[in-house]
Amino acid sequence: MTTIVVLTAGMSQPSSTRLLADRLAEATGRVLRSSGHEPRVEVIELREYARDLANHFVTGFPSASLKAVLDEVSDADALIAVTPIFSASYSGLFKMFFDVLDPAALVGTPVLIGATGGSTRHSLALDHALRPLFAYLRAVVMPTGVFAASEDWASEGDLRTRINRAAEELAAALGGVRATPARAADAFADVVPFERLLAGTHTRRSKAESRQVGDGTGQI
Amino acid sequence: MQFGIFSVGDVTTDPTNGRTPTERERIKAMVEIALKAEEVGLDVFATGEHHNPPFVPSSPTTMLGFIAAQTEKIILSTATTLITTNDPVKIAEDYAMLQHLADGRVDLMMGRGNTGPVYPWFGQDIRNGIALAVENYNLLHRLWREDVVDWEGQFRTPLQSFTATPRPLDGVPPFVWHGSIRSPEIAEQAAFYGDGFFANHIFWPTDHFQRLIEFYRTRFEHYGHGRADQAIVGLGGQVFIKKNSQDAIREFRPYFDNAPVYGHGPSLEDFSSQTPLTVGSPQEVIERTLTFRQQFGDYQRQLFLADHAGLPLKTVLEQLDILGEEVIPVLRKEFDALRPAHVPDGPTHAARVAQQVETGDLESRDPAQLDAGLEVTSR
Repeated sequence: MTTIVVLTAGMSQPSSTRLLADRLAEATGRVLRSSGHEPRVEVIELREYARDLANHFVTGFPSASLKAVLDEVSDADALIAVTPIFSASYSGLFKMFFDVLDPAALVGTPVLIGATGGSTRHSLALDHALRPLFAYLRAVVMPTGVFAASEDWASEGDLRTRINRAAEELAAALGGVRATPARAADAFADVVPFERLLAGTHTRRSKAESRQVGDGTGQI
Repeated sequence: MQFGIFSVGDVTTDPTNGRTPTERERIKAMVEIALKAEEVGLDVFATGEHHNPPFVPSSPTTMLGFIAAQTEKIILSTATTLITTNDPVKIAEDYAMLQHLADGRVDLMMGRGNTGPVYPWFGQDIRNGIALAVENYNLLHRLWREDVVDWEGQFRTPLQSFTATPRPLDGVPPFVWHGSIRSPEIAEQAAFYGDGFFANHIFWPTDHFQRLIEFYRTRFEHYGHGRADQAIVGLGGQVFIKKNSQDAIREFRPYFDNAPVYGHGPSLEDFSSQTPLTVGSPQEVIERTLTFRQQFGDYQRQLFLADHAGLPLKTVLEQLDILGEEVIPVLRKEFDALRPAHVPDGPTHAARVAQQVETGDLESRDPAQLDAGLEVTSR
């Protein structure tokens, strides 16, 4: 059976980091199940191992419960790793876990990275901090990393799109399904009628309108 | 079964009163502790070797020679002798000299040292740690067994017609242990020569060391030195003993909480359950130590860490009294009763002299003749 381990470094309870992690896990599971797979999903809250991680740094060995978690991550078929962005990078707790994980534990493992932050201005931390960390560990990082800022939780559509795209990529890496290739949007197929642009009422049209306009008739 | 203590020789502030001993006080305390060990009937005193503060024992043979002059029975050993950064020629001579002065009451434990900056102080590089341990020990082994040595290697100048002096006492080199907490290569080295293997398992969980010792035992048999259960194993231990457990825990806790190696980390209770640390009554220490035999098989030497983390000399001497009066006699009796007849006792000079007379089994292992030698042992 395919095992997906979800590692979340959220601090508060409830935590938006945990929420994003759950959404990514749920979406990945859904895509896999739609193609007949029955993945096992294990969620690990790093918060519960904060003291064990600090002790491991001091003593050089993991407690029995931390050892079990390290083993679980090493044995996972895929990893979903989500952290809050603190001071322009992953949180200290998140890094502590990967500092004590065997450097060979994730070689070749598909990893979906996610992060949360107060504003979208932190979103490149995914690519400037998390991606190099997993590159060092020689994991296979999915092309789409999902960043959720506070505002994303309010405007559902976009975040859901990114979550689904990332989930499809991870499911594809697990051999479950083929990811739908994202195509460049046809700039001419989706033009907003000018009177609406001028009126400023629509920066984005409803799905129904999109279908109408983009139905290939060329009639605007 | 041999029981003893090993000292790191750290100068550490006593966390209960803020007092830090001077180097002189610490050095003299180590000597006093060694003399006390003999007085209470322990078999072994071993000193560490360090070349960086806050440690004092940089010159083990000076200290052990000084102790040898004031003792009669106790075996003087090291924990560990740096086989990587010491010149093997100097080790051969220093410890042969000590062996004569101490009437054979000398053995050594080889270790690599895990502090990177120390290596260049002696012209070496920690990245060569294993290679240095392998080459240097092979030379040391030959220097003690061949009167005239021609030698060439990677890490020191060649030797031509060299004789290390003095020759080992009675033609029998000091017994050697190889200490390691991590590297299977060192267990392999100990097995190859038929030397002892010491696992200082006091800082890490047991299962790791079970694998290491099992590997050493298997390879000891492979190299033809005897059965796996006849391999010579030593173990560390860390105890703090009071008549009743609560007093032991209360008194030791501040030292534990601030200890250089594991302080400011896990609780005393967690660390006690995760490692062999035993803080409690004599009976608890006896019971815990007996479990080592179940975990690692019959073994030959048990060394306890007693003086560290800023414990005052007076406390350490009290600990040795309790060890000598209430713990070791019981353990000695129990272990000796449990050990089958074919499993050897802890190594002594006298026993090794007798063994050599009987079997002539102390030949050197020249790498040039290694292939032939291996063929013989595998047959």
